[in-house]
Amino acid sequence: MKSGPFAFIQTTTFRLALVYTVLFALFSAGLLTFLFQATVGAMRTEAKTRLESEFRTLAVAWNTGGPGRLEQSLLERALVRVRDFTYQFETVDGVIIVGDLPRMPIDTSGDLSEVRSVTFQVEGGVGEGDADVATIEGRVLRLGDGSVLLVGIKMDERLRLVRRVTRAVATAAPFGILLALLGGYFSARYAARRAEGLTRIAEAVMGGDLTQRADISASGDEFDRLSERLNAMLARLEQLMSTTRHAGEAIAHDLRSPLSRLRNRLEAALRTDMDEAKAREALVQTVEDVDRVLSTFNAILSLSRVNAASSNTFETLDLTELVDEMAELFAPACEDARLTFRSEIAAGLSIRGDRTLLAQAISNLLDNAVKYTPAGGEIVFGARAVADNRVEVCVRDSGAGIPVEDRARVKERFVRLDQARTLAGSGLGLALVEAVAILHKGSLDLTSADGDAPNSGLLVRLILPVSV
Amino acid sequence: MRVLVIEDDREHADFICRILTEAGHDVETAQDGISGLVRARESAFDVLVVDRMLPEKPGLQLVKEYRDAGGATPALFLSALSDVDNRVEGLKAGADDYLAKPFAPEELVARVEVLGRRQAVPDDVPVTRLKVGDLEMDLLSRRVARGETRIDLQPREFKLLEFLMRHAGQTVTRTMLLEKVWNYHFDPQTNVIDVHISRLRAKIDKEFERPLLQTVRGAGYCLQA
Repeated sequence: MKSGPFAFIQTTTFRLALVYTVLFALFSAGLLTFLFQATVGAMRTEAKTRLESEFRTLAVAWNTGGPGRLEQSLLERALVRVRDFTYQFETVDGVIIVGDLPRMPIDTSGDLSEVRSVTFQVEGGVGEGDADVATIEGRVLRLGDGSVLLVGIKMDERLRLVRRVTRAVATAAPFGILLALLGGYFSARYAARRAEGLTRIAEAVMGGDLTQRADISASGDEFDRLSERLNAMLARLEQLMSTTRHAGEAIAHDLRSPLSRLRNRLEAALRTDMDEAKAREALVQTVEDVDRVLSTFNAILSLSRVNAASSNTFETLDLTELVDEMAELFAPACEDARLTFRSEIAAGLSIRGDRTLLAQAISNLLDNAVKYTPAGGEIVFGARAVADNRVEVCVRDSGAGIPVEDRARVKERFVRLDQARTLAGSGLGLALVEAVAILHKGSLDLTSADGDAPNSGLLVRLILPVSV
Repeated sequence: MRVLVIEDDREHADFICRILTEAGHDVETAQDGISGLVRARESAFDVLVVDRMLPEKPGLQLVKEYRDAGGATPALFLSALSDVDNRVEGLKAGADDYLAKPFAPEELVARVEVLGRRQAVPDDVPVTRLKVGDLEMDLLSRRVARGETRIDLQPREFKLLEFLMRHAGQTVTRTMLLEKVWNYHFDPQTNVIDVHISRLRAKIDKEFERPLLQTVRGAGYCLQA
């Protein structure tokens, strides 16, 4: 975006404001024109109707009582102070009998035997200095004795109000437009500033800085909503990036030592003269080493996938059925290890989640329990609904448990406690379970099976919300 | 069995060829998607082994086009991507099985043989009786007997045996069993499957002179008369 004092002109908001201002001005002008035309037209019609009716009344006076009666009617009307009409009654010689005007304002020499419409102007006197010249609409007729009667009605008087309104609006319109433009300018500047902020964040992120966050004002407007979503997106991105980076580092770190060991073994084998049987043995050993490396690698990969997975693929699944199946899958293995296996599985549990990942996680927990519980021990495997609309899958064993200080640590990748080092395993089992728990917005909880008594076995609880 | 391996990585293709040839199969290779599709169409193979990432034409599209044109040869996808989503995607495109790299040679051989060989009784064909040697299974009354002796099985053991009987004479791996009998797609780290097999073996073989359920070293199991 260009900057500078007039950058706001390029913003969408300002352009919209401009368009609305123009539309508003056009609409106002149209409305006023229409209003003016309609009002003026109606008033004209009304004035003419009244003028004609007044003229007819006077004509009747003339017909019934002759000049005397007409003159009297006119004089009576002259007594009313406020009136709309102007009268002029002159003899055939132009002598004024009754008259509001100093002289007949129109040429009466033509044929006036029929009522004629006239329009004329008189000087001043319309009041309040509004107009020095008043326009008068009139009707004129030469009567039977040659005298001339003119009745007029002032038009300007009646239009004054309309004129004033129009003038007020006309005066105010520029201010209105100015205000609209100012409003447009300020909202455009606000929008531009907010957008500019977001643009800067985007640029920083493109530059590799994922820690930037958009400002959120207190107003909760659409920019704030956008900023919130953007911040959430950035947080997720940052998390994914760091997961990826950690995975990369973990792979580099944890594959280096087994690979070096492998290389050393091969190197040593190369230096020794050996017969075919020996060589074969070395090769078998090597394949086993490579298999271990690959299985570690696979475990790292699946852990990374879980970390990067989204809840988009979640389905509603019957947790009771899944847990039952896992119990059924592991029960014989427990018996073979001479462990008592008990399952306490509540009916009708169902959650939204990923079936394969949950099965893998539960299988890891049971696997650990079987591995670390000495023969003769007991494993209790259960699932039930708990508070806050959650379910827990728990595995309790009677093994040696995990010391309190190591409980957080064992969930980290590749952490294996001393007694576990001799057993097969990648050190990623619990890390995967925790990753699955986090993916489901749940948690993995390790405690002692019996209070905090040492060596009372381990209780592992995988707590999952019912709907994610 | 004639197998077409479509894999662009030379060394990996050679490796697959070797293990399949050693298992007694006739193997041909193609290096890219287009020539692979052409070969698959013009010649009759028993199984196609298709890598997912191929030059010219991705494996997914290859199998889809092959199926759309009416090709019926079973296809096995090989892929470094082992997500459930990828597996589902592959199966949707028309593949019959999916194997993630790296894999044990025995796993590949077992899967190729299961795909290619006329299965004793296909999984989806409804039958009422299965018979391997003197072992008989009645799928209607859910009764299993060996000779005159009745054998009582748990429901899962029944399913496991049914799968083994339908694939009689073929090697099935632990992963295949977890997939087909339990319907879970992950690598069982422990010996859970072996324990189930040994339970089953104790019931169907222990009392009898000739064992039917063999362990194939490094690969899996095979039920054979």
